[in-house]
Formats: sequence, structure tokens, C-alpha cells
Amino acid sequence: MEISLTPETITTIAGFPITNTLLMTLVISAIIIIASLVLRKRLSLIPKGFQNIFEYVVEAFLNLIDGVTQDRKQTKKFFPLVMTIFLFVILSNWIELWPGLGTIGVNQIRGGRVALVPFIRSNSADLNVTLAIALISVFATQFMGIAAIGAVRYSKKFFVNPFHKPYFIGTFVGILELISEIAKIISFSFRLFGNIFAGEVLLIVMLNLVPYFVPLPFLFLELFVGFIQALVFAMLTLVFLKMATVEAGH
Amino acid sequence: MELLNNLGINGKLLLAQIINFVILLAVLYKFAYGPVLKMLNDRTKKIEKGLKDAEEAKKKLIEMEKKEKNVLHQARLEAKDIIEKAEAVSVKDAERIIAEAKDQSEKMLDQAKRQIEKEKEKILAEAKSEIANLVMVATEKIIGEKLDENKDRELINSVIK
Repeated sequence: MEISLTPETITTIAGFPITNTLLMTLVISAIIIIASLVLRKRLSLIPKGFQNIFEYVVEAFLNLIDGVTQDRKQTKKFFPLVMTIFLFVILSNWIELWPGLGTIGVNQIRGGRVALVPFIRSNSADLNVTLAIALISVFATQFMGIAAIGAVRYSKKFFVNPFHKPYFIGTFVGILELISEIAKIISFSFRLFGNIFAGEVLLIVMLNLVPYFVPLPFLFLELFVGFIQALVFAMLTLVFLKMATVEAGH
Repeated sequence: MELLNNLGINGKLLLAQIINFVILLAVLYKFAYGPVLKMLNDRTKKIEKGLKDAEEAKKKLIEMEKKEKNVLHQARLEAKDIIEKAEAVSVKDAERIIAEAKDQSEKMLDQAKRQIEKEKEKILAEAKSEIANLVMVATEKIIGEKLDENKDRELINSVIK
């Protein structure tokens, strides 16, 4: 049993490291893309089966976003990003529930000894993935803010003239806002990474200690954690988006 | 950089993940969200229209029922009127027919009576003349001789009367 903070590299193609999380990302993307193509093909006015489930989720999210934005037009603008984050993150999180976690893989020689490189490792237990989504989320926030209220007015949130009321306090708060944007990236990525990585470690340890029955409650716990983390990621993105589109009040 | 390396952050992988996510977003937007949102919208519209149509149909039905009731009522009234009129006409007709029949029968009775009277008179006259003749013949035979015929007839007639 070897627990690595970083995703393990399975092989390298032309200097590009193929890690197990990259593999999982591709698998999840393929699943989502195939599912959406199938959905597109079978879409009908009278919903059936999979379309029902998807529509239910979409409706639930639309209502949730409506609750935050109070504006249907804005909801439609935010919806794709929030929904995609949710879908991608929840599927990434639930990878760790698949059987074969930390057991199926290839043996590699690392640091002079043989180590198992598992194929299955949750996307979210890779900082590259969480950081990527966090960056997209935060940049989308800036973009939406500028698109909604204009670059000049949006920048007033961060750069406040120290010679007007409330003088240097305003300027200081502006700088804090700027820092908080960067902090958002870090908190987004590390929250998700931490939760899922810890869950994965917990599951691997449990499986190694007592292989039967005992890991079950932890599997359920991780199912729940995966859902909550995905929801948190999506909701925080949504809230930040909404906050960015509201002009800073003075 | 050492920290990032230790955390497993790799520029190439990060970029790959970002691109992957953007592609995912684009595909989902194009093939899932757009069509599904449009579908949801369409359905909402359709259901709203359906409900409105149903409401209208219901209203129409109520109206039609009202109209039907009205028409039926009217028809019933008219029928009643027609029947009443027909009854009145028939009663009048019957009265007229009865009256005519009475009239006719009275006329006929009258005529018959008159005829009978006439016949009676005629028969009486004939009988009288016959009797007179008979008496004449008888008296002639008895008396043996003939009176003046005219005188005789006068005599007889006065007797008979």
C-alpha cells in the first residue's frame, strides 16, 4: 500500500505524462460526451428514461440558480458553467467508489523499488484537475462581472481612489478583494482536493485493514461527501458569479 | 516551484485539464443544455397552451350547453304553441262540422217532412176522388138512374167533406 499525494504517471507519450487522473478525466469526459450525444438524439417532447433524470437535474439546478440570481436571464447565462462543474466534479468524486480503487494497475519501478500504479484514482484527488476548474471558475467570474457591468465599473471593486470617501480604508478593502480573488482559487482547489484525497486514502486504508463489510459505511460517507463537494463547488461558483455581476456599493 | 512540484501540479497537465473542461463545457452546452433547455421551454409553452385550450374548450362547452338548453326550451315552447293552435283549430273544425251536419240533417228532415205532406195530400185527394167515384157508381146502381153528373159530384163532395 502506497499513498501518493501526486497522481501517478502510468506512461509518458512524447514527453507528456499520462497520469491515472488524466486517464480518468478522459473516461469521464467520454462518458459525459457520449451521454449528451445520446440524449441529443433521443430528445423528445415527451420525456422518457434518461431524459427524465437529466431534465429533473436541470430543473432542480435552474430553480436553485434562480433562487440566487432572482433573474431568469442571468440564470441562463450562469447555468452552463455551474451545471458542468457540478456534473464533472460529482462524477470525478464518485470515481473513488468504483471497485478496483488502488488495486488495479501496473507495476513500475520507482525510486529503486517496485510500486503499483493504480489506474483508478479520483480526478478530484489531483490538484491539476481541481486547480483547472478553480481557475476556470474564477476567470469566468471576472469575465461575467466585466460583461455585466463593464470593465471600468468592475475594476472599481479592486482599485479604489484613496482621495475620496472612505479614503484609505476603501483602497485597503479593494486590495483585500483582489487578494480574495486569488484566495478563491486556492480555497476552491484545495477544498475539493483535500476532501476527495482524504476520502480516497480512507477507503484504501479501510479496504486494506478489513476488506469485507467495514468499508461499506465509508463508501456511503464518500458518496455523500462527493455529492456535497460537487454541490459546494458549483454553488460557490454561482454565488461568486452573482456577486461579480453586482456593482460594488459605496 | 518546488512546492507546486511536490503537490503534483504540472503545467502540461493543468493545461490539458483546462482544455478538457472547456471542451466538456462546449459539448454539453451544444448537445445537452441548449436542446434540453429549449425542450423544457417548448414543453412549458405547450402545456400552457394546452391548459388554455382546455379552459377555452370548457368555456365553450358550457356555452354550448347553455345554448342547447335555450334551444331546447324554445323548441318545447314552440311545440306547445303549435299543439295548442292545432287543438284550437281542430275544436273549431269539429264544431263547424257538427254544425254543418246538424244543418244538413235538419234540412233533409224538413224536406222529407214536406214530401210526406205532399204525398199525403196527393193520396188523400186521390182517395177522395176514388171514393166519390165509387159512391157515384154505387148510388147509380142503387137509384138506377143517373143523376146529373155534376150535381151528383157536388152532392158527394159536400157529404165527404
